[in-house]
Amino acid sequence: MSYKIMPKSALNDWVQHLRQKFTIVAPKPKHGQFVFGEVTDASEFALDYPSTVLPPKKYLVPTQEELLSYSLDGSHFEMRTEPVPTVVLGVHTCDLHGIKLLDRIFSQGYTDTHYKTRRNSLYLVSYECFEPCTEHSFCRSMGTLSATDTFDLHIINLGEDFAFEIGTQKGESLLEGFQSIFNVTEVDIERINTVHQEKWQRFPYRLDFDVTELAELLTNSYTSTYWDELGDICLGCGMCTQVCPTCYCFDIHDEVDLTLDGGHRVRTWDSCQIRMFATVAGGHNFRAEQAARQRHRFMRKGKYQEDAYGLVGCTGCGRCAQACLVDITPVKTFNELYKRRNNIAEKETEAK
Amino acid sequence: MAQYERYIRPKVAFFDFTSCEGCQLTVLDSLQTSPELLDMIEIVEFREAMSERSNEYQIAFVEGSCTRPADEERLKTIRSTASLVIALGACAHLGGINAIKNLRPLPEVRADVYGDKADWYDTYAARPISAVIDIDGFIPGCPIDRDEFIRVVKMLLQGRQPIIPDHPLCIECKLKENVCLYLRGKICLGPIVRAGCGAICPTYGDGCEGCRGLITNPNLDSMKMVLEEHGLSFEEVEQKLSMFMAYQTAGIKSEAEGATS
Amino acid sequence: MKTLTEVVTKSPSIYQPVPARIVSIEELTETEKLFTVALPGGLSLHHSPGQFLQISVLGIGEAPISISSSPSRSYGTFELCVRRVGDLTTALHNLKRGDIIGVRGPFGRGFPVGRLRGKDLIFVAGGLGLAPLRSLIYEVLDQRGNYGQLSVLYGSRCPSDLLFKDELAEWEKRDDMTLSITVDHPDETWFGEVGLVLNLFDDIYPNPRNAVAVVVGPPVMYPSVIERLLSLQIPEGSIWLSFERRMKCGVGRCGHCQLNHIYTCREGPSFSYSEIKDLEEAL
Ligand SMILES: Cc1cc2nc3c(=O)[nH]c(=O)nc-3n(C[C@H](O)[C@H](O)[C@H](O)COP(=O)(O)OP(=O)(O)OC[C@H]3O[C@@H](n4cnc5c(N)ncnc54)[C@H](O)[C@@H]3O)c2cc1C
Ligand code: SF4
Ligand code: SF4
Ligand code: SF4
Ligand code: SF4
Ligand code: SF4
Ligand code: FES
Repeated sequence: MSYKIMPKSALNDWVQHLRQKFTIVAPKPKHGQFVFGEVTDASEFALDYPSTVLPPKKYLVPTQEELLSYSLDGSHFEMRTEPVPTVVLGVHTCDLHGIKLLDRIFSQGYTDTHYKTRRNSLYLVSYECFEPCTEHSFCRSMGTLSATDTFDLHIINLGEDFAFEIGTQKGESLLEGFQSIFNVTEVDIERINTVHQEKWQRFPYRLDFDVTELAELLTNSYTSTYWDELGDICLGCGMCTQVCPTCYCFDIHDEVDLTLDGGHRVRTWDSCQIRMFATVAGGHNFRAEQAARQRHRFMRKGKYQEDAYGLVGCTGCGRCAQACLVDITPVKTFNELYKRRNNIAEKETEAK
Repeated sequence: MAQYERYIRPKVAFFDFTSCEGCQLTVLDSLQTSPELLDMIEIVEFREAMSERSNEYQIAFVEGSCTRPADEERLKTIRSTASLVIALGACAHLGGINAIKNLRPLPEVRADVYGDKADWYDTYAARPISAVIDIDGFIPGCPIDRDEFIRVVKMLLQGRQPIIPDHPLCIECKLKENVCLYLRGKICLGPIVRAGCGAICPTYGDGCEGCRGLITNPNLDSMKMVLEEHGLSFEEVEQKLSMFMAYQTAGIKSEAEGATS
Repeated sequence: MKTLTEVVTKSPSIYQPVPARIVSIEELTETEKLFTVALPGGLSLHHSPGQFLQISVLGIGEAPISISSSPSRSYGTFELCVRRVGDLTTALHNLKRGDIIGVRGPFGRGFPVGRLRGKDLIFVAGGLGLAPLRSLIYEVLDQRGNYGQLSVLYGSRCPSDLLFKDELAEWEKRDDMTLSITVDHPDETWFGEVGLVLNLFDDIYPNPRNAVAVVVGPPVMYPSVIERLLSLQIPEGSIWLSFERRMKCGVGRCGHCQLNHIYTCREGPSFSYSEIKDLEEAL
């Protein structure tokens, strides 16, 4: 692990330094919350921020993305993904986990060049959390509270200074040529260790069991009546999936020019919570009940993604919990399933 | 599945029934921002824009709801002349708030309107044009969305049945990265209302009033609970929801009547 | 010869179709057309029966369509049997000979051709299910010696909905296979079986130890046909099915085709009954 130190007062100079080569995006305030957006000055963003409405995945899979443009006679195709090199400042560690999962998903099988191109041009500068971002977060339980990889640079707030942990050469290049970067001293290392150690006690575990038990819990809860209870109150509004850093389901549709000569193939975010998601022509819906859609969502978060990609599909960011108007949350759901399973297990042992 | 013909520069007519003509203004607006449209279609009847009349047209856009028996005759004539009849805007699509003169669905205006409940019963019940004639598609909204209008025209030119979203507004609202109005102490019907307007009201800080109508299979019970939890009385919840559910039965007279559009 | 897959995977985007030309169109029924399509210069499809292609009508969109022709009869072209049900399929039906469509694929895991070798085969088709099965039928017929008995059971809504009528007549005449057909709603021209495809099982006596069944039809058909096959002692691993799901990407990503944890487009669309019997979202 190699570190560098920058005085906090140099932040804006560093932003200006980076702007010579990069577009900078960072958390900007919006109506009491934050959203990632382009910034030109350090005064426009905050690094200590609760959580953004949408996770930074929007820079990897844009909400609406033109994949191709073409002429209607098929004589001409053009791939339209030409991202500009962008530095994302202030990515939380839970969101790093989300990006790590997306990296695996979009590179399996036939590589998604649109994703890959965007990913390669993205410089992830993450930021260590010292306090739970919102009442909804449960990153501690999901094991996403430290930056282990996926970042290019990781910032640790040391009060007067920022420590940069260098994750990749890409990250290192962001510091090159900037004057106010200093080597770490032993005192700095000490400070880094202290803030790291001290932070943990501020983060409660919110799951009543260990995350390694989650996949199995879900397998055993597949036929639970709890899904019907969720289905009854769920509005099917899809907010929970739209804001989730590990949801990536998409739709593809075509749009034509007004002159009907050319067209575009467009990818947009989709949601397994909406009625049409698994409906085929003729009207047959393979997940006709909202209960089945909720179950599918939580199975993906807690089991399917982990089975397929080796990473648990929920980062504990709490965005869905904050968004949901009927208070359907991963913590409540997982704990309730755990409780019910234990009740059943108890009854079974009693019966024996 | 209806077969749609592909048209080369079809003759297109616009008709207005009881409405504020705001949707036709949106059409005019889109003609100004996308003048190429006029290379693709030939407009033969458009009261807002021209006086010349024609009795021959392939595509009819009908704005406004049907409020009189005489309207029914006119609608039937349109149906028998046009190959495709498209309902334009909430009044024609849902029965609509047929006297609102505003171009944007301002909640205050609607609150005023609803204060005047007696008028529901005095007015001849407005109905969507689909209650009188078969339609081949609709463009929802009060007023319609300009981009959606153009999209529908393109689909018709391609010989397609217009595809209108049937998922909740919240999806679109989140894609815009709006902070949910419920987190800002307001209420909004987004979870049960059809997307497609770009979540314009929440984007400007107003709760969605549902001018594009309900999605298929909305969870109304749960929505009502949410509204009550956020401080609406039972009556207010019913009022809020009947704003669009009553489109089928109630004709609403606007305070704003008399304002020119 | 270069394969389509090679071209698709090397193109700048996996979502970019290769333009292919419609060389002939045959009207099979009122709602189904058979398209013969030629890939551009020198490309081969190189598919296995049961795989599908993502077919684009440029300016409209894309949909998964099974390859209905057999690899054993490609002649530089392939065939798609398309039912007109909605937006894209209507647009396809409106195309003419010489028009260009976009093609991506072939995707998915087809039928287990290798495992069928030497086996007695029971193919059960419901409606449009005959389209993908036809690919497999010709694969078997063209290498007849590699396989045991072949029984094809085909159920259709009404006589006018029968697909590939000329070919059915030919198959009926062959003595190295049996074909039985039933319709739900007979008309005055119909003298054959009436009723569900299940009735057709009364005439076959498979040796369960050597039989493999391949079943393709609408979702409603599967439970009863599987039950019948199981009652004939056909092992669960020897009953193969093909699933239709909504598919947008074809490459295991968009999420639409997911059936429990399985991506139908990638792991399927064909599955053995033993693979999916415990998955609630399968049947
Ligand atoms: C593996 C596989 C093989 C198939 N093989 C054949 C075949 O050989 N012949 C045939 O006629 N049909 C086949 N189908 C079904 C065919 O894909 C659908 O009929 C077609 O997608 C319908 O599209 P549409 O736009 O005409 O219908 P619409 O009803 O207009 O569709 C409306 C919307 O739903 C979407 N949609 C509906 N069904 C599907 C779907 N299954 N996948 C993706 N999007 C969908 C469309 O994109 C469209 O936007 C197959 C399907 C699968 C999954
Ligand atoms: S946010 Fe809540 S109500 Fe909306 S779909 Fe998700 S779980 Fe259902
Ligand atoms: S499921 Fe909820 S808490 Fe988990 S990653 Fe998604 S949005 Fe965050
Ligand atoms: S969920 Fe945890 S890791 Fe993520 S932002 Fe909140 S506190 Fe940080
Ligand atoms: S503001 Fe309205 S539309 Fe937007 S997310 Fe909230 S409830 Fe949904
Ligand atoms: S947000 Fe709601 S009220 Fe506003 S335009 Fe859209 S559908 Fe109509
Ligand atoms: S079709 Fe996209 S994941 Fe299977």
